[in-house]
Amino acid sequence: MIIRTLTLTVQSRREQELIDVTPEIERVIAESGVQEGLVNILTMHTSSGIIVTEGLPCLEEDVVTHLSRLCPSEGDYLHRRYLKIDGRIGFNADAHLKSVLGGISATFPITAGKMLKGGRQTIYFAEYDGPLSREYVVQVLGE
Amino acid sequence: MERALIDFHTHPLLVQEMVAGNDELLHAQKKVFDIQNRLQPLETFHLELDVSGLQRAVVLPLDARTAKGSQIFSNEQIAELCRLSDRFVGFASVDPHRPDAAEQLERDVTRLGLRGLKLSPSLQEFAANDRDKAYPVYEAAQSLRIPLLIHAGMTWAPRSKSANPMDLEDVAFDFPDLKIVIAHFGWPWVQETAMLCLKYDNVFADTSCLYHDAPWEFMRHVFTERLPLTLLERSLRHKVVFGSDYPRVEIKNMVRAVKELGLSDQAQEMIFSKNARHLLGEAEATYK
Repeated sequence: MIIRTLTLTVQSRREQELIDVTPEIERVIAESGVQEGLVNILTMHTSSGIIVTEGLPCLEEDVVTHLSRLCPSEGDYLHRRYLKIDGRIGFNADAHLKSVLGGISATFPITAGKMLKGGRQTIYFAEYDGPLSREYVVQVLGE
Repeated sequence: MERALIDFHTHPLLVQEMVAGNDELLHAQKKVFDIQNRLQPLETFHLELDVSGLQRAVVLPLDARTAKGSQIFSNEQIAELCRLSDRFVGFASVDPHRPDAAEQLERDVTRLGLRGLKLSPSLQEFAANDRDKAYPVYEAAQSLRIPLLIHAGMTWAPRSKSANPMDLEDVAFDFPDLKIVIAHFGWPWVQETAMLCLKYDNVFADTSCLYHDAPWEFMRHVFTERLPLTLLERSLRHKVVFGSDYPRVEIKNMVRAVKELGLSDQAQEMIFSKNARHLLGEAEATYK
């Protein structure tokens, strides 16, 4: 049994955006040597997410636009108060809720040393409160 | 690049290139300023300015060696940071408790090219109108023709005293050629801050106030409920500079908050650009 766990960094450049991380996941799988198993991808931040959808710019924009419609920044959020844990006001509840709706992780099977996914499935790191340097974890398990 | 739009109030507490591996700065970030966010590469600061539509930021140190046992960036470190990025305008700080504070200010501003003075009576634990400790420092800043950005009002930092901006009236009167910027609009003493800005030609204020609710809610509360917006639009448009207090709050959110107040384009241009450039000696005053 091989277990390879890596923390990767991604720099978001906009307030909200989807960043294609599929090549990085494929590289980690290839370097792990795992032929049959699973890969898990997990964001380390509660105002970001991991999203799988078709790799098209229009859909990248639609995801952000409609999550923003569901969770508008001007909404009436209890989170807007001083948070001792951060030393600052929490006013990014919309980003947290987008993370809840969009999800924070994805899992794919690995077979014959490659990630088994649909031809149109693209794995994105979803930034909801950028620009920030972010971390996500990729864990490969198998033989 | 057009370099006109400026954030007049930022703390480089999360800049990884400066803070990582530096125990004193890490202590200052977490224990003195009480900022718990993770460090970010310098590029994030640049991108934060970009998404906010600003070009430059004033980066502030604080010399609290007597009160807190630490410098939250030394003047040399601010100068080093400014060498890493020409988008930063570096200010100096000195510890008013130290007998050589005025001399240090003259020396550091001259040799390091720093362009303003930052003090915080609440964190540095001195009275803003202390004639023995503070006045020699003000005298030096006035001679150097650099602006003073001074904390006023509430601070989130632990074990800090409240700082009523009315303590600055003596300073404004006694140093008429010293440009004084009241940080955080002096909240909760915003009316006192407005009074000082109205009364004294050399008193200004920055917008970096956020103590509850979202930035746009707080800003609306201060500038349309506690004070009439017409005061800012008509009487103080030339006396207020944009400041965010980053990383206590993201610059983008404070920019949005000020823009959503409903000020005229002319007033916004003064608050985001002209007034800061005037304070920094880059432009003449455009509103008498």
